[in-house]
Parts: sequence; C-alpha cells; structure tokens
Amino acid sequence: MAEEKFEPKVVAFVCNWCTYTGADLAGTSRLKQEPNARLIRVPCTGRIDPVFVIKAFESGADGVLISGCHPGDCHYNTGNFHARRRWTFFKELLNFVGIDSTRLHFSWVSASEGKKWVDVVNGVIDTVREQGPFLKYKEIKEHDFQEIEN
Amino acid sequence: MPDLIEIAKGLLESKEVSFIIGYTKDRFGRVKPYIAKSVEDANNLMFDHHSIHNLAVYLTRLKIPENGKVGIVAKSCDIKAIIALIQENQIKREQVYIIGMNCSGVVTHSTDEWKKENIQIKCKYCADKSPMLYDAVAGTAEPFEQPDDTQAVLMQKLEAMSSAERWDFWAKEFEKCIKCYACRQVCPMCYCEQCIAEKNQPQWITTSPTPAGNFSWNIIKAFHMAGRCVGCHECERACPMGIPLTLLTRKMGMVAGKEFNYRHGMAIDQPTLVGSYNFNDNEDFIK
Amino acid sequence: MKEFIINTDEIANLISSLPADKWDILAPAKDGKSFDYILSSDKPIINSEAPPSKISFKEYFFPKSETLFYYKREANEISLTEPKFAEKKLLVLAAKPCDAASLPILSKVFNWDYKDEFFNKRVNNSVIIGLSCAYSDESCFCTSVGLDRNNTKGSDIFLTPFNDKQYVLSVVSDKGDSFVKEFLPNLTEFTGTKETKEFIDNKPFDYKKTKDWIAANFENKIWAETGEVCIGCAQCAFVCPTCHCFDIVDENCDLNCGRRIKNWDACQFGVFTKHASGHNPRNSQEKRYRQRVSHKFDYYYEKFGEVLCTGCGRCTRGCPAGIDIGEIVFSISNQ
Repeated sequence: MAEEKFEPKVVAFVCNWCTYTGADLAGTSRLKQEPNARLIRVPCTGRIDPVFVIKAFESGADGVLISGCHPGDCHYNTGNFHARRRWTFFKELLNFVGIDSTRLHFSWVSASEGKKWVDVVNGVIDTVREQGPFLKYKEIKEHDFQEIEN
Repeated sequence: MPDLIEIAKGLLESKEVSFIIGYTKDRFGRVKPYIAKSVEDANNLMFDHHSIHNLAVYLTRLKIPENGKVGIVAKSCDIKAIIALIQENQIKREQVYIIGMNCSGVVTHSTDEWKKENIQIKCKYCADKSPMLYDAVAGTAEPFEQPDDTQAVLMQKLEAMSSAERWDFWAKEFEKCIKCYACRQVCPMCYCEQCIAEKNQPQWITTSPTPAGNFSWNIIKAFHMAGRCVGCHECERACPMGIPLTLLTRKMGMVAGKEFNYRHGMAIDQPTLVGSYNFNDNEDFIK
Repeated sequence: MKEFIINTDEIANLISSLPADKWDILAPAKDGKSFDYILSSDKPIINSEAPPSKISFKEYFFPKSETLFYYKREANEISLTEPKFAEKKLLVLAAKPCDAASLPILSKVFNWDYKDEFFNKRVNNSVIIGLSCAYSDESCFCTSVGLDRNNTKGSDIFLTPFNDKQYVLSVVSDKGDSFVKEFLPNLTEFTGTKETKEFIDNKPFDYKKTKDWIAANFENKIWAETGEVCIGCAQCAFVCPTCHCFDIVDENCDLNCGRRIKNWDACQFGVFTKHASGHNPRNSQEKRYRQRVSHKFDYYYEKFGEVLCTGCGRCTRGCPAGIDIGEIVFSISNQ
C-alpha cells in the first residue's frame, strides 16, 4: 500500500494592501507556489487577534503564517506597529507553552514583493512539512470526538 | 503616623468619599474584603499579614460615582493595579482616595503563620515596599525574611525543556481547569463588560472545560495580560484547581521588561505598553 | 443495621481484589485537592481527620463537561450517536458525610420533570463507602443542615474508626449489603459501642426558620451587604457538591460533524440570566448572590424538601472574596 505523504495545512493571515496583493502578483507572474497555504485576508495585520491563531491550530492547521506591510508602509499608518508589539508577546507565550517558531511564522511582504512571498510561503511550508502534523494540538482537539471518527 | 481607622473615619465623616474598600476580620479572625459606608463601619477596618486580597478589583466591579470619590486601602502591589487602571482610563485619579499601607509581606491562608515559608513569592520582589502613590499612608512595615523564589527555579526548568516537554507540562495543568473564571473575575485588569470568552457569534474561545477549550482560554487570558499584568498573583490564589497561572503572567512580565524595559502600573501618566508602539521595536523574528 | 469489624489490611485487600476491568476506585487524592482514581495497587488514604477535598466528587456523577450525543452529516442524512457509557462500576472510598449526602439531594432535581439518565446511571453503578468525619473548622456547618459526623445519608456502607487499625463497617443500603456479601463475606460481626466525637457547631441555625425568612425578605438590605464583595466567579458553584446548573452548547469537529455538550454553569456569572434581548433580570452581583442563598436554603427546600447544601464549607474556604454562606444564613437566623 502506497504511504500517503504528509502534506501540511498552513493558514496564512495576510493584510489586504500589501501581502495579499503581493501574493496576487506572485500568481499573475506565474511564480510557482506550493499549494498548502490557505490565505485569510484581513484589512491590516493590526486586525489580527492572536485568538485567530489559536483557532487556526484548533481547526487543524499544522502551521500559521502572519504577514503584512513593512513598518512605515501600513495603509492605516500604524496598524502593523501595534501588531508587531503584540507578536513579540504572543510568540514568546506560545513558545513558553510548547508551540515554537517552527509552527508560527511572521513576515513583511509588500505589494510588489511577489517573489519574496513565494520564498516566504514555500519556506514556511517546507519547515512545517519537516515538523510533521501538529499531532499534539490535534490530540487535545479530537479528545472529545474520538467516538465518531471522520 | 495616623491610624488607618482615623483616616477612614475622617473621610467618611466629611463625606469626601462615599465608601471605603478595605479589609475586616470576621468573628473567627478571618480577614476579608469589606466596604465601610459609615463612620461606625470604619471601626471594622484593619490591615495585617492576611490582607492578601487585591482590592483594586472592586474599583471596576462596584459602581463608582461619576463625580464622586471612593477610598481604598491598598498595599504596594494593589496600588500598581490602581495606577494601571488610571493608565488605562478605567478610573480617574480624582475618583480614588488611596490609603497606602506599609506592608510586611502577606500570607495566603487565614491559618498561615507570618514566616518565610508562607510569605508570598511576589513579596520578595516588592521593590516598592512603601506605597508609591497615595493620598495618605498608614501602618508600619517590619522587616521580614525573604521567601525563596521557587517559582524562578521552575521557570528555568521550563525554559530548559524542549517544546514538546513544555507542551506536555501545560497540557497536564490546563486539563485541571474547570472554567470557573475565578482568575478573570479576581483580576483588576479584567474589566471588559463583555469578555471575549462570552462572545458566541462567533465563538472564539470554546466554553467547554475540555483540553482544547482550556488551552484556548488560558492562553488568551495570559496574552491579554501581556504588558498589563501588575503581578499581584490573585489569579493563582483564586484558582481552585491550583494551576500555576503566574508562570504565564511572569513570562509575559519578563518579555515586557527585557524587550521594552517596561513595567505596568508604575506611573499614572505613562502610556501603556500595548497601546503604544515604537518605530524601532524589535523585529528580528519577522522574515 | 448490620455492623462488622474491618481492619486496614482487609480494606487494602478489598481494593486490590476488585478486578480492574470491572471496577474503578475513587479515593481522596494525596494532595487533598480532589478525589482521584487510584490503582488497585495503591494504598488508599482513609483519614477521618482530613479536611474535605478542595473540590467535591460531583464530577464523577455530573461531569464538568459531558457529551449528550454526536451528530454527523453525510450527504443530506444526519445521524446521531449516543456516547458510550462506561460500564465499569465505581467504588468511592472515604466519602465524608457532607460528600455522600449530596447524591440523594441531587437525585431529586435529576429525577424531577425529566429523568437524567446520565446522572442516574452513574449513581446506580457506584458504591459509596462513607467515612465518619473527625474534622471541623470555621467553614463547616453540616449539623445545621441536618447532617453530622456519622450521618449515613447517601452512603451504601459506612466506616467509623474504632482504633488505630480497625473500623466498624456498617451496612446502610441494599446495594451496600450485596457488595459486602460479594467482596467482604468473612467479616466478624461487631457488637460493641462506637465512640463519637462532639461537633462544635459554629453556626447553628434552624433551616426551616431561615427558609421562611428568606422567602419573606426578597428586598432586604442583607443581600447588598453580603453580595457586594462577590466578584462573580463560579468557584463556589463548581466546588460545591450540590450545585447542578449546566449550559448546553454544540461544538463542531468540522462542517459535517460535532457534538452537543452539557457543561457546568453557575448563577454567579453575569451572563447566566442574560436574555437574547439584552435584558438581564439579575443585573447586579447582589441579585445573583441573593439567588445563590435563596436557591439553596429556600427554593430547593420548598420544592424537594431538601436543603441544597451539606455544610461542607468548600465554597467558603476557596472564595477569593472570603464570603461565608454559612455565616450569612446564621446571621439570618439571628434576625
């Protein structure tokens, strides 16, 4: 029986004005991206509540990427500055409870950086693939659904 | 130095405050929070090593008159919470008359003796042994033998573990959680009229006390304390299941100190850490 | 009632003789915080001088989170599955009278307008060995609510310490009788007298009189005075052996499957009585605290003839704001 190779599910929270546009540019430029990332578009990285990250892991994500405009380029001027401070705390907190930087990634990708987007997202997917499925989170989530297997 | 009761009587008699939030002893000698509303009530106020409760929580739980004032008996750790509430615009400086108490460390249980083994770990770090913001000061501080910081030892142990080992440690602790929300209710900084845990369209945080639901709640609570926690340790005292919540808040406090050189609740006009930003904030973790 | 003499070795042998695939054994945990499962090889802690555990054993009969059913959608068909019920029997060791009594009290509400089979099955599948209590502190008041150190309400079998190594084993119920016949058939009968330690009741009150006062004093200022320091957590309700409110929610595992769950809930939460319109009839902590006292000492007694409290004092010992419900009812009795 052929073994199914593990393909990670990566959820990417991207800001509309920079990274999402950059990812779009990557697409129109026909740059090759691995298909594992599911993009969720938000107006600004300042909109991203860390609870989204927890929800992503709860819903089965093996890795999460958050990406937005470079500091100084935020469409709303200061959204990404606030986000950056939040992430400093949040990543330390998650690391402290056992979710380290192999599963949670951050980047600045501007609207013109289609190539960078592809490098970032492929890099994240490769890192997460190497880590394997996030079994520990799946264990606590599926703890109560064991009686009905999908 | 004027006596606590004298100060309180003066405030209530002149009606400078509508009530005073303080401590009292019941007929068994157990110390508990108490609201003194009259000069007569003021006789029941006291303060000693068992006055562990952070009374600042009542500043957002009780109705503080808009143009009025309330008195509050507070030790240094509690005053930090009051300052933090002023920093975050939850109360105005003019709305509180702070009776700062000189404190000699507090013990957890009414039956605990005042000695090194029982004194709270936070008291070791009370660099601010005398009240730093006050309208009046009372009480006398006696020197006390510093407790051992067993928590620092545990923190180091955790930091030295692998991610997987840390996960297992926390999964075991969070499993105990029964979602009583005592940690939230006792925290002076948790004053939201509708907590994110109570939002159900959509339901961000699973309400069930299951492993996933508990993980989600405890992480988000800790995150909401990042840069806002004053280290009063009330959350851990209130937790009926003995979950070491202050490990999480202490970690967040360490990040605030190391990355931003910040401590919450030190000065009423200091901008809050998470409400502000610096162009040069660290971003070495961002690709 | 039948009485026998049993020694600590025989109790330890009983534990190890129960087949692990058919029996779970619950005993007070070493850290004193809760009741925990013990292995048949463990030495159970049977200490009548220990304080009540921080949290009651209620979660083994009324779990903090329980699946009611699972649902699955395939094409347009929805199927429901019942959760598997653990068929193992449960032996509860060293339950204090204030613990054991909670089961018949809870049984009233769980068999009122709807028979809660989740609760009933668990109780029917269990054998409760009560233990005479030699502890008391300022938070206890079991004698004011109809219990005492040697009360057998809710126990199937009851142990009273006789000396260092021996207990008097009393058979209380038919279930207890069958258990003793099956697992302890060779005990010697006891014909002596048991000693009983005096209980110093710190808060004596007549629960029939206090019930009437509560019913007639809905607007009394005592509710504001006692409830204003309450911070609105559910510590008291969750550690309590008799509080039983619950919330029902659905959780999904993905778009096509999920489960309906029953979780512990408490009247002390601000949102407990919040209506969909936004109106909240109990919109202050004082009103919510009044509800707690009234439900326990008036409404439940009115409806079921049982005070919804065993005087164990757990709520008081754990309250972050130091509220003592026994003191409140005691002061009501002095009104």
